[in-house]
Amino acid sequence: MKTRKDTNVSADLLTVEGLSIAYGPTAVVHDVSFSLAQGESLALIGESGSGKSTIAKAILRLLPHSEATATGRVALNGRDVLGLPERQFRPLRGRELGFIPQDPASALNPVRTIGAQAHEAAALLGETDPAVRRGKILDVLEQVGLPDPVRVYDSYPHQLSGGMLQRVLIALTVLPRPSLIVADEPTSALDVTVQKLILDMLTELRQELDISLLLITHDLAIAAERADSLVVLKDGAVQESGSSWDIFTAPQTDYARSLQADVPALHPDRYRAQRTVFAAEPTHDVVSRPAAVASRSTGLQIDVQGVTKRFSAGGKDVLACDGVSFAVERGRTHALVGESGSGKTTAVRLLLGLEQPDSGRISVAGQSTSGRSRAEVRDIRRHLQLVYQNPFTSLDPTWPVGRIVREPLDQFGVGTKPERARRVEEALASVGLPTDVASRRPAHLSGGQRQRVAIARALVVRPDVVVLDEPTSALDVSVQAGILELLSKLQRELGLTYLFVSHDLALVRQVADTVSVLRKGQVVEAGAVEDIFSRPQHTYTRALLDSIPLATPAAALGGIAAEAKQPAKATA
Amino acid sequence: MTSDYRRFALTRAGQAIVVVLLAYVFTFLIISVLPGDAITNTLRDPQHGLSEEDIQRIVAFYGLDQPVIVQLLLSLGRFLTGELGFSLQSNLPVSQIVGDALPSTLTLATTALLIAIIFAVAIAYGAQYLPGKWAAIVRSIPSFFLSVPNFVIGLILIEFFAFRLHSFTTTDPNSPVATLFAAITLAIPVSAPLAEVLIASLDHESRQEYALVARSRGLSEARLFAKHLVKPSALPSVAMVALIVGELLGGSVITETIFGRDGIGTVVQKAVTGEDQPVLQAVVSLSAVVFVAVNLVADLASPLLDPRVKLRETKLREKVGA
Amino acid sequence: MTAILSNTQLRDLGSTPRKLTAGLPPATVLLSFAVVLVVILWSLVPGLFTSLSPVTGDTASKLAAPSAAHWFGTDYLGRDQYARVVHGTASSVTSALVAVLIGLVIGSIIGLASGFRGGWVDAVLGRFVDVLLAIPGFLLAVVIVSSLGFQTINAAIATGVSAVAVFARLMRAEVMRVRGATYVEASYLQGGNRLHALLGHVLPNAYRSVLVLAVLQFGTSILIIASLAFLGYGDPPPASDWGLLVASGKTYVTAPWLVYAPALVIVTTVLSVNRISRWLRNAK
Repeated sequence: MKTRKDTNVSADLLTVEGLSIAYGPTAVVHDVSFSLAQGESLALIGESGSGKSTIAKAILRLLPHSEATATGRVALNGRDVLGLPERQFRPLRGRELGFIPQDPASALNPVRTIGAQAHEAAALLGETDPAVRRGKILDVLEQVGLPDPVRVYDSYPHQLSGGMLQRVLIALTVLPRPSLIVADEPTSALDVTVQKLILDMLTELRQELDISLLLITHDLAIAAERADSLVVLKDGAVQESGSSWDIFTAPQTDYARSLQADVPALHPDRYRAQRTVFAAEPTHDVVSRPAAVASRSTGLQIDVQGVTKRFSAGGKDVLACDGVSFAVERGRTHALVGESGSGKTTAVRLLLGLEQPDSGRISVAGQSTSGRSRAEVRDIRRHLQLVYQNPFTSLDPTWPVGRIVREPLDQFGVGTKPERARRVEEALASVGLPTDVASRRPAHLSGGQRQRVAIARALVVRPDVVVLDEPTSALDVSVQAGILELLSKLQRELGLTYLFVSHDLALVRQVADTVSVLRKGQVVEAGAVEDIFSRPQHTYTRALLDSIPLATPAAALGGIAAEAKQPAKATA
Repeated sequence: MTSDYRRFALTRAGQAIVVVLLAYVFTFLIISVLPGDAITNTLRDPQHGLSEEDIQRIVAFYGLDQPVIVQLLLSLGRFLTGELGFSLQSNLPVSQIVGDALPSTLTLATTALLIAIIFAVAIAYGAQYLPGKWAAIVRSIPSFFLSVPNFVIGLILIEFFAFRLHSFTTTDPNSPVATLFAAITLAIPVSAPLAEVLIASLDHESRQEYALVARSRGLSEARLFAKHLVKPSALPSVAMVALIVGELLGGSVITETIFGRDGIGTVVQKAVTGEDQPVLQAVVSLSAVVFVAVNLVADLASPLLDPRVKLRETKLREKVGA
Repeated sequence: MTAILSNTQLRDLGSTPRKLTAGLPPATVLLSFAVVLVVILWSLVPGLFTSLSPVTGDTASKLAAPSAAHWFGTDYLGRDQYARVVHGTASSVTSALVAVLIGLVIGSIIGLASGFRGGWVDAVLGRFVDVLLAIPGFLLAVVIVSSLGFQTINAAIATGVSAVAVFARLMRAEVMRVRGATYVEASYLQGGNRLHALLGHVLPNAYRSVLVLAVLQFGTSILIIASLAFLGYGDPPPASDWGLLVASGKTYVTAPWLVYAPALVIVTTVLSVNRISRWLRNAK
């Protein structure tokens, strides 16, 4: 850990010293210390279980009383607030300390209008006249970039999109002009382009109103881009802390180094070596699959042409896919990139035969999946498997892992019982899981392990094509790297063709050969990954590239250097 | 009224009518068809002292010499026009018997409902805001309420308050105090599911992210409760109150018997022992009507209580912007 | 927002593997199991617990208070009240079991069909369930018993019928919840058919809540059958259903134990059953 620098404690807005938090007998935060000066920003970075959210809630004293005990010192403007009785602390909430939550959709009472709830924030200004309050509310709604404040005022939360809701929440938080805002993963639940807009807006507001920011995040890139100083947390203890610039360019601890290494934007060529190797070698698995021979001559494992799908729900028509086309050669990885509503999920479902397209053709491994009967589609599925995004819901919690992996073999009637058992063992071994995992249930496995089980299940029938639907977005960054590593290795060994769906362009750059960028059901740009990244043609593609934090490291680092006029003080 | 709501209201009302009709048929099957030739046996029972012409008249009236379907349709038709038939025991019109007994039961039921709501709210509030140990005890109260049969509750209350403390006498069942105790007896088992729904709802809402955010704005627990927790809890609570109506009607059979009241419950008792099918048919069908009506009202009110309630199948939600 | 799940929440769930429940259930639960066990034994082998007769008594010692010889005292015919309670358990408890089985089996089938198939099947079955719900449970039970005859077994059938609706609703809700789960869709992609999805995935994930309800309904059925017996709608004397014991005992104001003993047994039994049900629900 870095050594303590000389600090002038009373000038700091927020000082945390030796903070330890325990839930009953279990300690979740150990002796954490850091400080934040007026007008500065500090990011607490950590993965799940690091205690970052707990610390944030402890500062606001919003931990559930009966379960949590906090010791140490938390000082606001030199005054210890941790020990204050609730009645004296409560006036500080909102007025001095603001809070921006992670999931905007659940952060507002669903049965009351935005306006009604905004008055709670406005009341903190001390203004009693409701008309004046309403005026102030509308002002701040406009300040955060909402185009029609009056309409928003009268709406219910479920009528607004995630991005708009987060703007509303930010508005309500800055309205009482707090000195410090604690933001708990404020953009993780939002689309990438929206994420950038929100963070930009937050930075502007901060500079305008001189508000300090305590940012909680798991994303090192965002933290490095937006915060002056960083505190890296693991398992409730501080690993490293200091200015963003220092930690980012020269991480001292192994953990910080590994976090940095796992940021996709900084290491675009991480898996490239593995992929290029494959392109030169043919695999030896080919002969056993006659169906693949036909497509091998054309080289296309996936061929989607002009696919259109319209959904009508309650009188509203949505064109989920509008003339989508893409093709993937054998052994390659093609990525579908888009945000919510882009149609990539629908495209995948059409490919898998879970929906039928209104028009267009789809063929997998040389066989058409569109316009087929259910039984025929089922046969094609032997060559086409899917790894779901969420490993916590894609595995039946009541089944043991062995049975889960064996399910496709059982259902497709492959081999005899002993053969199936052997293949399950092989599959588990190839994904790096110990054989005793087979008798356990998913609940006893971590997220990364569960996703490996899902991959094993997908591979056990030896498919030609594997669709990977955001396979790592539900996992911690360090676990993510392991999974991607595994997927690359398997692709090389088994000659698999991948369709990789993601919203994360930086990740796509690491793993894909070709990419289609989707927006509102249409392919706006497609091509080789290097081309798209170095010479994006479409404005939307450019916007996506811009929203990657630290997309251009030089520019970003320059930005951090500019902000670091007076580096925020860090304590060990 | 939006057209969505109108469609929703009409669909629900239509379903309600179907259910009432089906309930009538179902009851008819149980009461009149299941026991076989029960009505005729009852009529011929010398205890009732009916003359042969009387018997023939009744047979003609109910169509007892005709196939079941005809009997059913006759009966149903009359029911829909409000004609409930005649009691086999007393030869009085059923509507009169029911009408005479109704006020007593209504008083009892509404008082019991009020008491049940008060109990439930008190228990739920206590479960949320009392310190640890007390809260745990309060949370186990509903389960306890559900473990004691209401006849035991009634007997105990009578034992202590009537015989020992002389707060009321069993000879005057309609006195306010006697009614109060009868209502408490009826209310106790009924308050349990309502309390549980409220507790679960408050627990759930209290843990929601928006409660945390509201607290971060400096809201005290009391204001949080009033402004944020009550409204979302309203919908499941109202639904449960509607369901409880059925329990109240069922429980009144025993409660009225124990407290010696002359309500619908006692009417049912007499009708059962006297095998008075028309009375039973009428009471059960009317109960079903009441239940369906109350639940229909609750259903129709649900979009008002929670704006998220979907009035029809929609995959998309209307968004104001992006 | 399909692409981006609530990442941190998912991560938090994933990193801490679930602790295996260590050791025994809490004391109250063990006690509850003991009570239920005793009651079941009373119903199966009453002779094991008392050598006295529930039907004949010694009128010389009628209306005696509880003592070492007569744990629950004696009734107006000098019969040992404890023996009467023990021998009455069979019909009070086994009938409740029958009621729950009826409700569980029929209700589950209806709920499964409704939830899994949806469409018009759901619409039609839904109306039948609505009918069962619309008629107050106790009233329905009274009416069915009066039609079938005054016997405890009929009371059981009646209670079972009025429980069908509750089971049907829960099963339907659970099936619909599981049906939409990702792993069910995944099973289709792995070559499974609808039957496999239903038996292999939906049922095993849905039955848990239904089981908890079944235990709860067991307690409720005991109460309903006792209430029916109290009104005289169960087996006639000299049968000694718990409810009937309370009813016949209440006329003897000088001998309150005639009411309190069976009442206490009822309350203790149902309390224990409810405790077990709550424990099952929390242990999921």
